[in-house]
Amino acid sequence: MTDAPFTSERIRADVAEVLFLTPEEVVDDQPLSDQGLDSIRLMTLAERWNATGAEVDILDLAERPTVAQWVELLGH
Amino acid sequence: MHAEEFDVVVVGGGPGGSTVATLVAMQGHRVLLLEKETFPRYQIGESLLPATVHGVCRLLGVTEEMEKAAFTVKRGGSFRWGTNPVPWNFLFAVSPELSGPTSTAYQVERMKFDEILLRNAAAKGVEVRENVAVGEVLEDPERVRGVRYTDADGCPREITAKYVVDASGNRTRLSGHAGGERVYSEHFKNLALFGYFEGGKRLPGADSGNILCAAFDEGWMWYIPLSDTLTSVGAVISSTRAQEIQGDESAREEALLGFVDRCEIVRGFLSEATRITTGTYGELRVRKDYSYANTRFWRPGMALVGDAACFIDPVFSTGVHLATYAGLLAARSINSVLSGAVAEDRAFAEFEGRYRREYGVFYEFLSAFYDMQGNEEGYFWKAKKVTSFDSSAMEAFVSLVGGVASGETALTDPDALVARFGNSSRSLASAVEATGDMSTASGERMRHLFGVPVVGGVMQEMNQIQRRGVLGSATGETPLLPGGLVPSDDGLAWAPPAPRTTPIPQENHEPPHP
Repeated sequence: MTDAPFTSERIRADVAEVLFLTPEEVVDDQPLSDQGLDSIRLMTLAERWNATGAEVDILDLAERPTVAQWVELLGH
Repeated sequence: MHAEEFDVVVVGGGPGGSTVATLVAMQGHRVLLLEKETFPRYQIGESLLPATVHGVCRLLGVTEEMEKAAFTVKRGGSFRWGTNPVPWNFLFAVSPELSGPTSTAYQVERMKFDEILLRNAAAKGVEVRENVAVGEVLEDPERVRGVRYTDADGCPREITAKYVVDASGNRTRLSGHAGGERVYSEHFKNLALFGYFEGGKRLPGADSGNILCAAFDEGWMWYIPLSDTLTSVGAVISSTRAQEIQGDESAREEALLGFVDRCEIVRGFLSEATRITTGTYGELRVRKDYSYANTRFWRPGMALVGDAACFIDPVFSTGVHLATYAGLLAARSINSVLSGAVAEDRAFAEFEGRYRREYGVFYEFLSAFYDMQGNEEGYFWKAKKVTSFDSSAMEAFVSLVGGVASGETALTDPDALVARFGNSSRSLASAVEATGDMSTASGERMRHLFGVPVVGGVMQEMNQIQRRGVLGSATGETPLLPGGLVPSDDGLAWAPPAPRTTPIPQENHEPPHP
């Protein structure tokens, strides 16, 4: 994982890493829960993002589990 | 006398002993495990947590065997507890959408589970000897150096080892050699009376494999579905009831059925069930379920893991978790010292610090959890009210865990701790209320419960271990303890934390997230 800004590219890359996929395989507007994301992987992402400067609640991520919505949540 | 030398001798072949033995042998060290009984053997403590199943069991390499054993799958615990008359759920997944194969754990028959772990230890290179009783610890003022035991043929044997691990359970006779003593919690001196039933009912739908814990006026009951038809049923009651239940089998039966009768939901579930009266599951057993911790978890040459070190009330299914967690920590410390990577003091300070922290966070959770039910009438519940905790008991707790982390400091003042536990109880009660009944839309979402600081505290290390099992090596851990170490890439030893280029936010300002 990188410490780059929270662009859709970075979010997609980080998500791909915990799902054992390539970033190209991650679909932005499909629920990540349908792409293999589970509770423990979500917690992993939230903790790492918060450790690199994000201020995001895992529970907010859980309610909107798509890359597109996370870009909005994390982007500002 | 027959004398042999090993790197490590582990006393006790339960999950804690098997875990530490296997993870040390996997690093190529010579490990001997001595078990007093011949496996399979009966044991209580049947409900597992995800950190054990998806974290430790994966490290041990028994995932497939666990799947083959076809244990009952639980997605969490269901509780008839607190003010809600309807059971509510504590689920492992934050929401049903994000529930995956790793958001579950198992209910296990310990005869089967413990044997899987012990045979796996042997397969991974541990020398396993059963039916041997360890009588003596070899020690000098500097360190522990080994053990003496009598083998199955009555022949005395002496084992010298760089480390002795006491994993011999709650009735250990060795733990004092670590230089400390066992300190019991004044508030959680409970007894358990338990047996097995055929034909008990199940919770509906996806919750059918869950453990059910149900409070009643004199204590609470566990109801664990071990198979479609077999159920483990136990009553946890005050130790002041000891006389009534320690009589003969018929006195125990009358007592247990009396408790079932007073616990509405369990009474309903067992209305068409029959108690098993023959075989391993035919006995009604009594066990002290006192919560306790030893004042020393290690000394040079020796470490304590599992019930030999500490035990927390069974309500959260933590027995096997605390044992396998401690087994993992001890293995990391032993491996680090044997390879020369970390000095003994530092490696075992990490073992003891993490283990005590885990005991401490579960103790706070336990106190808050029992307090939620504390408005009930009756001696059992009144004695569990946090506001009834006296200073001497809180001081004993502080001496065992070194206080409770709060911001950047540790709370050690008894009054401040009582206030803190009271706050935890209120946050928990509000979250339970907001979550609502099981089998409802909100009741399947852990948004509120996972947000309670004390819940975050207990889930922190469990999540970390599970994450390592699920995602593999290098999960980028930061030190859990101030100035502490982190797991090595393979998870089997300790390493200094990697230098960071970006500043790490002070973790303690916010409660840790689950």
